[in-house]
Amino acid sequence: MRIACPFCGERENGEFTYLGDASPKRPNFAVDGGESPERVEDAFYDYVYLRDNVAGVMREYWYHGGGCRSWLVAERNTVTHEFISVTAAPGAGAASAVRAGE
Amino acid sequence: MADFSWNVQSPLQQALVPGRHGGAGTQVGVTLEEVRGVSLVQVMARRGRVAETIKAAKKLFSVEPPDTPRAVSGRNATLIWSGPDQFMVLSARQTGDQFAKLTAGFAGVASLSDQSDGRCLIRIAGSGARQALAKFSSLDLHDSVFPAGAAATTAVDHTAVNFWREPGSVDENAVFNMLVFTSFADSLWHTILDSCLEYGVQASVAHAA
Repeated sequence: MRIACPFCGERENGEFTYLGDASPKRPNFAVDGGESPERVEDAFYDYVYLRDNVAGVMREYWYHGGGCRSWLVAERNTVTHEFISVTAAPGAGAASAVRAGE
Repeated sequence: MADFSWNVQSPLQQALVPGRHGGAGTQVGVTLEEVRGVSLVQVMARRGRVAETIKAAKKLFSVEPPDTPRAVSGRNATLIWSGPDQFMVLSARQTGDQFAKLTAGFAGVASLSDQSDGRCLIRIAGSGARQALAKFSSLDLHDSVFPAGAAATTAVDHTAVNFWREPGSVDENAVFNMLVFTSFADSLWHTILDSCLEYGVQASVAHAA
């Protein structure tokens, strides 16, 4: 399996490590915003532990540790292992003034 | 109290035996060199300061640093892409504080790290070089894919290396450079030498000019 890093080009998959689903978004509650503790806890439990077991195309984080050391977001078909697209994760490199992407 | 004396020593002090190795007869299919006396500095643009970093590099080296995996020759230095918005500055070691000069040149726009004693520069050339490299690297080094000046950060034998083809080196005389961590240099040297043996190897020590 070869993965096309947007910075380096096509490389063997041994240079990459898989992190997981890129979809979960960190819950964003205002401090003392009046949310019930149960709701906050549920939202974080969902964010930290609960994952969909997708059969088909999913967005996932990959790390090119054996190469340019950039975080990437890949769209991959979990059934066929086909990579549909690989893009830099938000905040990769120094170009964007914002640190990272939630 | 005893005074410490720090002797600069190559990580290949033991492993590199100059002379001809392997092959049949006197043929030399691969030349293998360790290039000593280099100054190497990692430059990483700070967040949102890419344009200023490029400008500072242009002022220091008269060329723009590569924004794709390439190595470019500038004034007294080669700039090698090492990742998005970062590159390495390779030059011959001189007397005086080269790092301080660069730090001043990139002040406020990029973060620098002196890697002169952290990496070891190995140079591979010759008619058998590509075949030997194919044994331990997964890169496609064909002239049409990896032309002169092409660079890659990759893993060789599970070890991270900065790899590039010497700018200006023509296809049949392609020269490949590898920067490897000093602590892995000894082990990698054996891997490289073993891979080259069947073609006949001339091993030597070179000094950066």
